[in-house]
Amino acid sequence: MLEIRNLSAGYSEIAVLHDLSVGVEAGQFVSIVGPNGAGKSTLFKTISGTVKPMGGEILFEGENLMKLAPAARPHLGIAHVPEGRQVFSSLTVLENLEMGAITEAGKKNWAQTLEQIYSWLPVLEDRAGQFAGTLSGGEQQMVAIGRGLASSPKLLMLDEPSMGLAPAIADFVFDKLMEIRKDAGLTILLVEQRVAEALQVADKGYVLETGRVVLEGDGETLKADDRVRQAYLGM
Amino acid sequence: MTETQILIESTLQAIAAGILIGAIYGLMCVGLAMIFGIMRVINFAQGDFMMIGMYAAFFALTLLGLPSFLGPVVGPYVAVLLAAPLLYGFGWLIHRTLIRRVTGIETADLEGEGHYAQLILTLGIALILQNGAMILFGAELISIRTPLSSDAIFVGPFLDGLAVFLNKARLVSACISVVIIVALWWVIKSTTLGKSLRAAADNPEAAIYMGIDVDRSHRTAFALGTAITATAGGLLATNYPFHPFVGLEYVIIMYAGVVLGGIGSVIGAFWGGMAIGLVQQLSTIILPTQLQNATIFVFFLLIVILRPQGFFGRNVERT
Ligand SMILES: Nc1ncnc2c1ncn2[C@@H]1O[C@H](COP(=O)(O)OP(=O)(O)OP(=O)(O)O)[C@@H](O)[C@H]1O
Ligand SMILES: [Mg+2]
Repeated sequence: MLEIRNLSAGYSEIAVLHDLSVGVEAGQFVSIVGPNGAGKSTLFKTISGTVKPMGGEILFEGENLMKLAPAARPHLGIAHVPEGRQVFSSLTVLENLEMGAITEAGKKNWAQTLEQIYSWLPVLEDRAGQFAGTLSGGEQQMVAIGRGLASSPKLLMLDEPSMGLAPAIADFVFDKLMEIRKDAGLTILLVEQRVAEALQVADKGYVLETGRVVLEGDGETLKADDRVRQAYLGM
Repeated sequence: MTETQILIESTLQAIAAGILIGAIYGLMCVGLAMIFGIMRVINFAQGDFMMIGMYAAFFALTLLGLPSFLGPVVGPYVAVLLAAPLLYGFGWLIHRTLIRRVTGIETADLEGEGHYAQLILTLGIALILQNGAMILFGAELISIRTPLSSDAIFVGPFLDGLAVFLNKARLVSACISVVIIVALWWVIKSTTLGKSLRAAADNPEAAIYMGIDVDRSHRTAFALGTAITATAGGLLATNYPFHPFVGLEYVIIMYAGVVLGGIGSVIGAFWGGMAIGLVQQLSTIILPTQLQNATIFVFFLLIVILRPQGFFGRNVERT
């Protein structure tokens, strides 16, 4: 579904990603882990087009994303839930969700999709009329995830959905994601600092360090890998 | 009439005049609110966009000979409404060629989010427009007269012979202003276009992730804001003569109105403009006309001290 080949990208001449290849098959749950500054968010931004690539290619269902304007990409079925939530703080919760639904796929069956989102994340229904900027961090994360789901995407990209949340809330977010994935059969690409959980549930995992893939494999294998255990799991 | 009666009458008269002119100021401020309040673009040329709108309406009226087939009363208003799409195009073009370089996603990383660059760029645009208009149109005072400009409706007599008169041209202009604002408010509040404009202004990066063409949204908002202020200018011109430097007189009123109403609130900007109209007219009861503008700023300072977020300002921090 998503095929990234030999990608290099960065900010004003300074390359952050070097010759990086990542693949996501339809229906898969793929996790990317790695230390701060490894380039995980940069990878997501390059996929979405807010960071310009320097080389390589990104194919989504066979289509070359680099030829498309950033704002055209979500319409193909890619939802990007960015790091740090980035909700529209001066819009209400419902309006935030509606913004997710401006893609063709999102507009279709919007009433049903909204009902479905509310059933996964009931807090959004309770807070529908509240300005998103006044919500707690955890609630804002629900808005960001709900907003991504509102576009009825084929691929949901989540950048550190547990960032800045208390462990209990982070667990809750994770459980929700698993529930949503099971119900909707979504393809998910996840970047996470909670390495154990992220690899536990993943069909495939990548370890990114200083802009390069240093390890890849199925989740269980990676989790059992000595280097991963030492560096990320503290074992 | 007793002295109290005279005072009451002149107060009522000032309030009536203030509401009428306030509605037009309100429309003017709403135009700036789209650009400065919502998109956060500092535009010093807003007053000059208004001036261009006034000339556009004037030339639409005279060159197309509108009065000859629409009549002298309807013609000018049609001219004003014709100028609006023209100025929409003008705003669109200015954004496409110049403003986009110093706004939006391009400048998210710049110091002050590109505000310094905007300041200098739009100041430059303002100077070019003022002097360009001076060369093309000359310095003579022009107005878009209608027979209504010197006609009034008398309300009264009520309460022992009190009466208030309303200038018909201003009354019509005020009504048109209110209709436009209500329509715009609905568009911004309830339509997908309006919501995506707000989203693109609120968080351009996230808006891109939603599939919103942020550059186009910004351009739409900028062009809309230009057209709205220009329309207010045309409506004003049915009663006030104008010249190439008229923008300078109003750009300050516009910023004051937007700040009074609460930055980011379109409806607030309308009430900000309305408040300025009222204060300006009420001040004439006790103060010489030359002090009108000074009174506005005393009032402005008071409000800013007492309620820094403006009438409708929310304390939602933008992230
Ligand atoms: N806008 C920017 N301009 C210049 N350099 C940037 C920019 N954003 C990120 N970088 C640099 O790119 C590198 C990778 O950053 P990135 O945000 O992709 O890391 P990350 O893996 O997501 O880290 P974290 O886990 O902390 O979120 C870092 O060295 C960072 O300093
Ligand atoms: Mg990151």
